[in-house]
Amino acid sequence: MSDSFQPTRPSGRFTLFPRLSGVALTGLLIAIFLMAFLILPVMQVIYVAFLDARTGALTLQNFQDFFNTNLFRESFVNSFYVSAMSVVFATIIALPLAYITTRFTFAGAAVIQSLGFIPLIMPPFVGAVAMTLLFGRNGSLNLLLDQYFGFKIPFMEGLNGVIFVQSLHYFPFILINLSASLRNIDRSMEEAAQNLGSSGLRMFRRIVFPLAMPGYLAGAALVFIKVFDDLGTPLLLNVNNMLAPQAYLRITGVGINDPMGYVISFILVAFSVFALWVSLLFMRGKDYATVQKGGGGLAKRDLSQREKVLAWGVILFILALVLSPHFGLLLLAFGTIWSFSPLPDGFTLQHFGTVFTQSSQYIWNTIIYAGSAAVIDVILGTAIAYIVLRSGLIGRKWLDYMATAALAVPGVVLGIGYLRMFHGVELPFGLGQMSSFWGLIIVALAVRRLPYALRACMAALQQVALSLEEAAESLGATKSSTIRRIVVPLMTGGILAGFVTSFATAAVELSATIMLVGRSSDAPLAYGIYLFMQSPSGRGAGAALGILAVVIVALGTYLSQRIIEKDRNRRAAAPGTDH
Amino acid sequence: MRKILLTTALTLIAGAASAADKVVVVTSFPKDLTDPFKAAFEAANPAYELEVVSRNTNASVSYLQETRGANTTDLFWASAPDAFEVLKAEGLLAAVDVAAEGIPDSVGGYPINDPAGMYFGFAASGYGIMYNTRYVEANNLPIAKEWEDLMRPEYNGHVAMSSPSRSGTTHLTVETVLQGDGWDAGWAKWKWISGNMSTVTERSFGVPDAVNSGSTGFGIVIDFFGLASKASGFPVELVYPSLTAIVPANIGVIENAPNAEGAKAFVEYVLSPEGQQVLLNPAIMRLPVNPAAYETAPEGFPNPFTPEFAPGAIAFDVDLSGSRYTLVNALFDVMITYRMDDLRAAVAAVQQAEAAQEGKDNAEAKALIAEARALVEALPITEAEASDPSFAGVFQISRDKPDVEVVGRQAEVEQAWDAFAVANYAKAKELADQAAAMN
Amino acid sequence: MEKSGIRIEDLHLSFGETTVLAGINMEILPGEFFAFLGPSGSGKSTLLRAIAGFGPAPRGRILIGDRDIADLPPWKRNVGMVFQSYALWPHLSVRQNVAFGLEERRLPKREIDSKVDAALELVGLLQLADRMPAQLSGGQQQRVALARTIAIEPQVLLLDEPLSNLDAALRVQMRRELLALQRKLGLTTIFVTHDQEEANTTSDRMAVLDGGVIQQIGTPQELYDTPANGFVAGFLGTANVLKGQVSDGHFLTIGGNRLPLACPRTGADRIVLRPQNVTLGPAGGEGIVGTVSHREFLGSSIRYLVDTADGQIIVDTLHSAGQTGQETGATVSLRVDSLNAPLLV
Ligand SMILES: Nc1ncnc2c1ncn2[C@@H]1O[C@H](COP(=O)(O)OP(=O)(O)O)[C@@H](O)[C@H]1O
Ligand SMILES: [Mg+2]
Repeated sequence: MSDSFQPTRPSGRFTLFPRLSGVALTGLLIAIFLMAFLILPVMQVIYVAFLDARTGALTLQNFQDFFNTNLFRESFVNSFYVSAMSVVFATIIALPLAYITTRFTFAGAAVIQSLGFIPLIMPPFVGAVAMTLLFGRNGSLNLLLDQYFGFKIPFMEGLNGVIFVQSLHYFPFILINLSASLRNIDRSMEEAAQNLGSSGLRMFRRIVFPLAMPGYLAGAALVFIKVFDDLGTPLLLNVNNMLAPQAYLRITGVGINDPMGYVISFILVAFSVFALWVSLLFMRGKDYATVQKGGGGLAKRDLSQREKVLAWGVILFILALVLSPHFGLLLLAFGTIWSFSPLPDGFTLQHFGTVFTQSSQYIWNTIIYAGSAAVIDVILGTAIAYIVLRSGLIGRKWLDYMATAALAVPGVVLGIGYLRMFHGVELPFGLGQMSSFWGLIIVALAVRRLPYALRACMAALQQVALSLEEAAESLGATKSSTIRRIVVPLMTGGILAGFVTSFATAAVELSATIMLVGRSSDAPLAYGIYLFMQSPSGRGAGAALGILAVVIVALGTYLSQRIIEKDRNRRAAAPGTDH
Repeated sequence: MRKILLTTALTLIAGAASAADKVVVVTSFPKDLTDPFKAAFEAANPAYELEVVSRNTNASVSYLQETRGANTTDLFWASAPDAFEVLKAEGLLAAVDVAAEGIPDSVGGYPINDPAGMYFGFAASGYGIMYNTRYVEANNLPIAKEWEDLMRPEYNGHVAMSSPSRSGTTHLTVETVLQGDGWDAGWAKWKWISGNMSTVTERSFGVPDAVNSGSTGFGIVIDFFGLASKASGFPVELVYPSLTAIVPANIGVIENAPNAEGAKAFVEYVLSPEGQQVLLNPAIMRLPVNPAAYETAPEGFPNPFTPEFAPGAIAFDVDLSGSRYTLVNALFDVMITYRMDDLRAAVAAVQQAEAAQEGKDNAEAKALIAEARALVEALPITEAEASDPSFAGVFQISRDKPDVEVVGRQAEVEQAWDAFAVANYAKAKELADQAAAMN
Repeated sequence: MEKSGIRIEDLHLSFGETTVLAGINMEILPGEFFAFLGPSGSGKSTLLRAIAGFGPAPRGRILIGDRDIADLPPWKRNVGMVFQSYALWPHLSVRQNVAFGLEERRLPKREIDSKVDAALELVGLLQLADRMPAQLSGGQQQRVALARTIAIEPQVLLLDEPLSNLDAALRVQMRRELLALQRKLGLTTIFVTHDQEEANTTSDRMAVLDGGVIQQIGTPQELYDTPANGFVAGFLGTANVLKGQVSDGHFLTIGGNRLPLACPRTGADRIVLRPQNVTLGPAGGEGIVGTVSHREFLGSSIRYLVDTADGQIIVDTLHSAGQTGQETGATVSLRVDSLNAPLLV
């Protein structure tokens, strides 16, 4: 960006060719990007849903077939049920963690908040494999139960298994959002309630929770949509009668030209958009928490000795549960043979040796892909946030809607859309085919993770008082200079948070990338794990690679957390909010 | 020393010029197989570099179809001949004249190479039953050696296989039984076996994985999964039922390949005696198609060129299989994969009824059980219908060939089958429960 | 530095449908300390921000010197603005905050350093140059904001309620410092406040705003002594407004009281009596008769609210130790010094 920014106020002079202001130009470029890499590719896929498979004529027949098919109706109900139950269980997991860490002076609060993020970065495949080894029909737990008590618990059977795995995987969305809301509640809200005679759980239920509702709803909606669209977990647990797996099975089946896969894709996207919209409707006008500012959050209370023991008990139990996939992964990565026994037969470092000698390429690719995608995301996120919150650009809200809609697009749909759209497009500079160019993987990751970064950037920009920007402008800084020198530095914390979320989740993404990896040397970690996990001897190595993925991402998260924390401390009690 | 330097220099030069000499192969084979071949091939042909693109068979076919307009792939390398048939029918494979010596025309009654020369068998695979020895011991199960064994009630909940629509190799297994036993008896067999299943996996590797980890006892797998798992140290064994088909795993050059020369060189390498030796690598364990290679094979390694191997092996009819390929997959999924719970309930009810009536002489109960069995086994279409192009075509509609007359839409047909299967399974369970309650 | 005045001509501004400024005209002289005074919501900030280039685009002309700046973006106006919240950038040190505007002007580093030092010296904060804003007290932050603004040597200085975030004692001290600084630099300054005392004590002239309209412009004394209307009279100090008419060199109140006038103005229908111009006497004395309904002890004076036939009249009497004054309920007579009292038309 240069000094070509024009004032947003109309100049009053008439020009035949109005020069686009920098903001308008940026907005236009972002809109084109989102059209090209999100909207059009998805349209390419779901458009098939409206075609007669044989004649290619437009028709609604396919939708009629969809609703006439018992299997699809059941799949829809199952998907809905699994998503709703996952939200319930994710809430049960997240609520105590969020409550205890934000409401009490609790020594391990920061650690717990960080650990609470880890389940999100479980690479696909390995998570379900590890969970099956621990909780499956003949997993460690059931073998022990059977041996000592003579019964087994069907944790992983059918829809139960999907709910179990999904709620453990996605609860951090609720934890993160709910904790943030709880921290934002003005202390006086709570004090007023206490003053009027309310206390304890009752106050929590009647005052605190309603105030934290917007954050909770945002998290819950995310969990719902993610579970609704996810196909990896059901497929790994061999559950077919849900919508996403049905779509996948029908689109990728060999030689099949069945339009139903596309119909289901359309329904997945449409329903997810609908769910997103409903959650927004719910939250509109309920966003009290952020209205009250500067209250310093709820008062933290000290726990009595007994309460402390209880709180630690609850937290350790939950952490043990949510980190069990990682524990299983560790056993798998360090174990020799693990078959029909509670623990591996022996332990070895050999798998890590294999990984280090064979797979450094995957690690580098992942860091490059997820890193670039996250950089693109925070740049786009910052720009969109700025345009939406600070400019008067016509249609600016649509940038937000379009970017957020990526949440509602299943990875496979995007992957197939890219193949359709970019195949045959030859890139210059000898980069070859666009659809097999590794850059497209970065774009896909960036588009898929943009909503996360965007939300973080929006929140960050909302925290920056407008007068801080006006001060810069009145001192002679142009818009671009103000953005560069004032706005962006002040958003650092939020931008970093967005970067971390995008990076961490992109680093373990597989559903879109699996369609786009053109050759093994371009493959990212998750794909490498997938390859390892396709052979008997590769299970340990795949798990070791999974551990590496978790460690890399966790380290990145930790470092950024430190930076955010420092940034927050430095600005504590800083001036800048208007009265 | 000088020689090493020379080779290094040559490799470097070759590497520098590699852009033109890259051979891109799309494959469903795991790293364990591709890595040793890549290493061996590049060592033997320093001028080439092998680029491996891994996808499962079905995704590979979709990928090659989607990318045909601007092809970047030189080779397709996978197990299932059906997938090659699909590609061949769509004109995606090139006919290549490959020089290979010492490879017979057929193995186990199956022609090794495509008669049109569009793809070549490079390794043979049979299908078998893989089992976890610890699991079998802990559950006190006898070892199942034949497909029929898996139908028995004691295996209820102990079996796994993958869906034929997801795994080309499983499709071959299903089709082998259908061809060996006939349409009705074959499907009946699959239904009774499936009634004993704990799971139908989405990936073909899901089956050996489940057996290796002990989450299930028996798996219906392609042989090398069992052999390689055992070689990796898992407590598993593999048996070949007498009804099996030996089917070659194949490699073919893609039409319009960017590097046709390199593609040909790789095919020739894979079929060469050195290439065939690579198959005996413990992580690969596939049966070479060159009988000479077995001379160096480890003790007990199965040899399909010996008469004692799989005496019931049938001559697999590729054309028949191809004509109903997607229909068989769809029928399996609709009747079995997607209705696993209903089928399991019906099969368990029949098994319990039979156990309850064991040794008794209640004619009415026996009639009910027979009726229930018939309901479980009932099929919505006959073999003739299945091979009728106007019907099977419903599953292969293509906008490229709008003139093929078909009778309905896939979704419509599947819904009819689904309703048929659900009603029959429910009725069968009801009858069997009645029979079980009788004295 | 060359001093420039500000001229505003027929300025209109609205937020969507709501008109916030209607037909503003004013001329501020070079070097003048000018106040915008008015109640909250009267449009003071909006007007000030329009001069700085913020908010919706107004209709009308804004000239600084001879230059019409209405179409310029904020960063080209060379107008220094100090924000009510100070708007110090929390991620920059005091020195970096002050240097910001100079850096934007691409000055050489040496020049920036010396100008920053000079500006900080001027506000007496040179020794705190390397602190972060969060480490400063409210008064110090306010000085940094000021230093940051004057460092760019703006043509005019705009201050939006600069003292409102300070405590009472500091506020008095800061307003003196502000004035001293303004005099020293000779900067044309606009000072927005809702506090008439602040406006009175600092400004050369001021504009009183209400409802987006300028009510009156003048020196503090002019506005006090000759308010243009009841709003101005009431907003600047306490005023007793009595209704009636001018007749025969007197103001005849509706309550039947005759108040002598030095220069009777025909057509006037209200008279403004300041509390200090009314003297409280015992019952039966000459003047307006009334009853004390309420009294407030203010320290240096006592304020009585007296109910009369002309409505409630506020009276301040000087207090000296030992005096008790009138009790509530007492009947009193009010002697009025009405000769120079302002009349309203
Ligand atoms: N952004 C805005 N949108 C709509 N109305 C506004 C906005 N800002 C100020 N106003 C309205 O303009 C009027 C003047 O506001 P302001 O200039 O801030 O008053 P003051 O500074 O005198 O207290 C008020 O009635 C206020 O409600
Ligand atoms: Mg104001």
